[in-house]
Amino acid sequence: MSDTQTVTEQQAELQIGYAGTSIPRKEDKRLVQGEGVFADDAKAHGMGYVHFVRSPYAHARIVSVDVSQAEALEGVYGTLTPDEVAQLTDPFFELSTPPGNAIEDYCLAVGKVRHVGEPVVAVVARTRDLARDAADLVEVEYEPLPVVVDARKAQDEDAPVIHEAPGTNVVWSGTFDWGDIDGALSAADRVIRIKELHFDRFSSTPLECSASLVEYDRGTEQFTIRSNHQMPGVAAIWMGPALRVPLDRLRFISQDIGGGFGNKITTHTYLTCCCLLARKLRRPIQWTEWRTDQHSANAHGNERWFHDIEVAVQSDGTMLGFKVKALDDCGAFPRYEPLGCIIWAQVTPGLYRWRNIRVDFTQVCTNKSPVAPNRGYSRMQQLWLTERIVDIVAHELGLDPVEVRKKNYVRADEMPYTTPNGCVYDSGDYARCLDIALELVDYESRKSSRGRSDGKLVGIGIGSTLDSGTNNFGQSTLMNPELQFSGNNEVATIRLDIFGEIVVTLGTVPQGQGHETTASIVVADILGCSPDDVYVRAGHDSYWNSHAGFSGTYASQFAVTGLEAVKGATEKLALEIRRLAAAVLGATPDDIVLKDKMAALKANPEAALPFMACGAIVNANNAVLPPDARDITLNCRHVYVPPFELPDKEKKYGNLTLTYATQVHACVVEIDRDTGVVEIVDYAAVDDCGVRIHPQIVEGQVHGATAHGLGAALHETFAYDEDGNLLTANFYEYHVPHALDMPPLKTGYIESPSPFSSLGTKGMGEGGGAAIHAVCAAIQDALRSAGIPGVVSDSHNPAERVWRLITNPEESSALVEVVST
Amino acid sequence: MPEPVTEQTISVEINGEAYEQEVEARKLLVHFIRDVVDLTGTHVGCDTGNCGACTVLMDGKTVKSCMLLAIQADGSKITTVEGLAGADGELTPLQRAFSASHALQCGYCTPGMLLSATYLLEQNPHPSEEEIRRGIQGNICRCTGYVNIVEAIRSAAEGNA
Amino acid sequence: MLLRQVEYARPETVDEAVRLLASREDARALAGGQSLVNVMKTRVAAPELVVDLNRIKELRSIETGPSGELVLGAMVTYDELIRSPEVQAARPILAEVAQTIADVQVRNRGTVGGNLCVNDPTNHLPPLCATTGATMTIRALEAERTVSSDEFFQGVYLTAVTPGEMLTRVTIPARAAGEGDGWASVTLGKEGTGIVNVAATVSDGRARIAIGCVSATPIVVEAEADEVSVRKAVADASLDPPSDVHASADYRRHLAQVLAWRATSQALEGAA
Repeated sequence: MSDTQTVTEQQAELQIGYAGTSIPRKEDKRLVQGEGVFADDAKAHGMGYVHFVRSPYAHARIVSVDVSQAEALEGVYGTLTPDEVAQLTDPFFELSTPPGNAIEDYCLAVGKVRHVGEPVVAVVARTRDLARDAADLVEVEYEPLPVVVDARKAQDEDAPVIHEAPGTNVVWSGTFDWGDIDGALSAADRVIRIKELHFDRFSSTPLECSASLVEYDRGTEQFTIRSNHQMPGVAAIWMGPALRVPLDRLRFISQDIGGGFGNKITTHTYLTCCCLLARKLRRPIQWTEWRTDQHSANAHGNERWFHDIEVAVQSDGTMLGFKVKALDDCGAFPRYEPLGCIIWAQVTPGLYRWRNIRVDFTQVCTNKSPVAPNRGYSRMQQLWLTERIVDIVAHELGLDPVEVRKKNYVRADEMPYTTPNGCVYDSGDYARCLDIALELVDYESRKSSRGRSDGKLVGIGIGSTLDSGTNNFGQSTLMNPELQFSGNNEVATIRLDIFGEIVVTLGTVPQGQGHETTASIVVADILGCSPDDVYVRAGHDSYWNSHAGFSGTYASQFAVTGLEAVKGATEKLALEIRRLAAAVLGATPDDIVLKDKMAALKANPEAALPFMACGAIVNANNAVLPPDARDITLNCRHVYVPPFELPDKEKKYGNLTLTYATQVHACVVEIDRDTGVVEIVDYAAVDDCGVRIHPQIVEGQVHGATAHGLGAALHETFAYDEDGNLLTANFYEYHVPHALDMPPLKTGYIESPSPFSSLGTKGMGEGGGAAIHAVCAAIQDALRSAGIPGVVSDSHNPAERVWRLITNPEESSALVEVVST
Repeated sequence: MPEPVTEQTISVEINGEAYEQEVEARKLLVHFIRDVVDLTGTHVGCDTGNCGACTVLMDGKTVKSCMLLAIQADGSKITTVEGLAGADGELTPLQRAFSASHALQCGYCTPGMLLSATYLLEQNPHPSEEEIRRGIQGNICRCTGYVNIVEAIRSAAEGNA
Repeated sequence: MLLRQVEYARPETVDEAVRLLASREDARALAGGQSLVNVMKTRVAAPELVVDLNRIKELRSIETGPSGELVLGAMVTYDELIRSPEVQAARPILAEVAQTIADVQVRNRGTVGGNLCVNDPTNHLPPLCATTGATMTIRALEAERTVSSDEFFQGVYLTAVTPGEMLTRVTIPARAAGEGDGWASVTLGKEGTGIVNVAATVSDGRARIAIGCVSATPIVVEAEADEVSVRKAVADASLDPPSDVHASADYRRHLAQVLAWRATSQALEGAA
């Protein structure tokens, strides 16, 4: 079955129309004029500005807090202290199994501070500046405690215990064992042992920081929270019980969000403080997170160590399996963790066909910023591991990493492919994507330039990755069998108003992905109108937008969950319109066709009911309808529920994700031999996300994910000193790529429609970190091609690290051992 | 001999409109624009003057309004993103090109980016790709990887006579 | 992000400016603001009074002196430096390097005087002043004096300009016949903050090299303009660079040697 044929079939399901065309985005008109409404833009009469007093210590007991001087300052409205928080709220819901779930997480530091930047006291004043001034007058006395910043030391006998209640720094641990790795290791021609690999700590650092304006209505006890939280349903689940209020009392409103990338999922702590303050001080509370706050006290990506890796390989490069000890560093508080301890299992084998895999996974707390599901969440780390393994195996065996990939990739004719732990890769053609990537960077002619040339080391590297989308939240039960989560859902509503206006609301919370636009394409193609006729409500309001438990914008799923919800609601509406027109025109629904905002008789297009008339009849003139048509409301809601089952908790087996987009990147580097500075001289990204509803939006996501990956690979790191001070707490120290840093990007694509979504789409957007894998591969290739036996063992490779790989390759090559069995 | 002041009434022209307002000496220009004048299109993205989200045109040059005191803008003419389109709402070629080329996703860097691009094309109507990249080096974007932004500026420049 | 209360004054002449700077214990000159406003945002610096120099016309001039030397007013911006035909004629390396400072917006406001007086170890102009033999003119209430680069750069964020004084101009000798300038650096990202930067001026086969980012002030060495001699001179300087999140002392020491030769090579080409 060819790809083109399938795409056409899919398109026939939707009337061939706007799907696949890159219509102008609806969001753009307001955004290019600066008329977007972002969280910090909101103002309310009489609002107070909040400033948080934050811990200067990574770990300390709070001896005393004195806010009297701060409160005495003219213009200060009030404060919030840890004592109040401990009294007025309950700790946030913890996801882990015992003892990890005994961690007590409040919205201010109660009793202790556990990372630099942790908020301790909140001060509210008439102006931002006064709040800041007043913060200097708050006196907090600390008793510093020993600090643990290296996750590898967090389980030592003498390691300081960060959370007393569980009495251990281990948040969660478990073993995953599929196939028979010990058997595979015995049977293999070679065993490659890799002592240690490190996936570094960084984050997507969205340009817009978190912010909120919270109002409290004393009469209805309702909190109105204008913020940029990207998963308000989840925020409510944390905040409601903590504040001891029913969830419906928490209304979340957002319109435009300046990037989320998973960094706006765990700000419920700050929002809870603002709720308490709004209620206490009887005025709206405005909070702005500054860049330094975001870097030090919001969300980092998971940092992960991989130890004692053993890979079973045949001499011809066939890879049989691997085992690894994974150590994840979640910082001072787990929050969304330990979900990351299982989510990687969506992509356990990466893109490869090995069947024997064992992972011993442990997650620990350290005195660093907490983590959150940063773009690529947990799968990126696992995919980086498999890509590093492939390159190291290839180089150790003297094989071409490109050939080893082709040999071991899951093949297109094996799709849908069930992985060793029961996940189903829906569709894809990895080898073809790789071929396109190689062609885009002229691999055949570049091959010969590998190695040394003019003081530069030239290397070519491949990064292949999967972007798994639409989670089965039942995966959480593999981590904690007591959790009552499974499946997934998303909601959309659509109605035809009295004047024929088509209005759509989404349960999703977009941060730049163009949901208004792609949703309108799906609607237009079903209703036979133009996307310009479809009004999609901008942003999200939990009071007015219908939503469900898992609503939000995260985890590369909108193209499936969001669009399926829209499609389902629109199909219901389309049927109602046809039924209505049939009743009025004296026909059956099958006789009616929708086109140009009219419901017309197929046999006689002159006999037609305009959409406007339909809306008018139902809303204002329904006595003209026969009794059996009076249930028509032209106001339809659809909850999309993907076809998941509960996974097997015993075997940790089951389908954890619905769709798998592919990205294969090729990267050509020239490394300055004397300085270690890496320059990317050619770069290609090939993506396959099934049917592309709006190709330009899809490509934009590929560009952005590539930039994030290149940033992480070469520039970005959240580095701490031994006292737990964050050394890269702002954009001066934490360098993110600007336009001169980015190489020209070539892109390519194929479309392997997903058999599991009715539109053939797959979620995409996170990107799976392909650029990190590709850059690491290219650097190592440059070394090896020049006869330098260095091993790239870290995801972050700034100039000095690369220089050391070149000048002291023994240090890194000592990490790898090849054993012939 | 000018006496030091802790606050002063300043006169600023923003997007062609005159504003007279008392400001504290310590107030940053970006906060004056956002919080006092209520023009929230100019954004704050960092606290070290690196990201460029706060870029405005002041007396014909692009500046980062987070590194200027409002009081320094007394007597100046400022253009923010809200002042780019025509009086009748007609978008500039750059604004149209940004949309056509999908040079914005979340839109947060877009105001600053548009100001920098506008200034670039004023100074250099036919920039090379490198000149375009250099022209927006002071504007960080975390969504687009700059690919489509460079393309938008290039295509708007091509439209220039 | 939010500043402490501060007083502000905007003089029209140098005389007024100096008087104002001398009037308070902790008064600071506000030049481009691309450094000062940032440190005020972190509250690391909280001067009593900022004296805004941006309206003082006489500080903005670029002139050529009687021997062809470049005379830059302290408030000349990087952008003005880059566009100046006088700079191109007399000492083009200044424009070439200024073009790589930060970004367009910063270059529209940031000033020569600011770059020198802040004397952040990663700044671009101090090493260039050291190799080109620039001199700095400082005005006090009652007097004016001119000092050499060696005397001017004294420590981290410390220069010969004491409280109550201000830098008014920088004089850079014109490139002589057979003289060439060079610059080499490794930065955070392309053209970002320096990890190590090196300026070199070559004349008659002799190199004068100034290494930035490795100490409080530029470290100056002289050597024959060949690779072995240059690298030896740098090694013999026993540099003691800082270790920080971006680079270790060892790596900086190594880069100093590599970049010293690269800057010298460029200078040799220019001298030919």
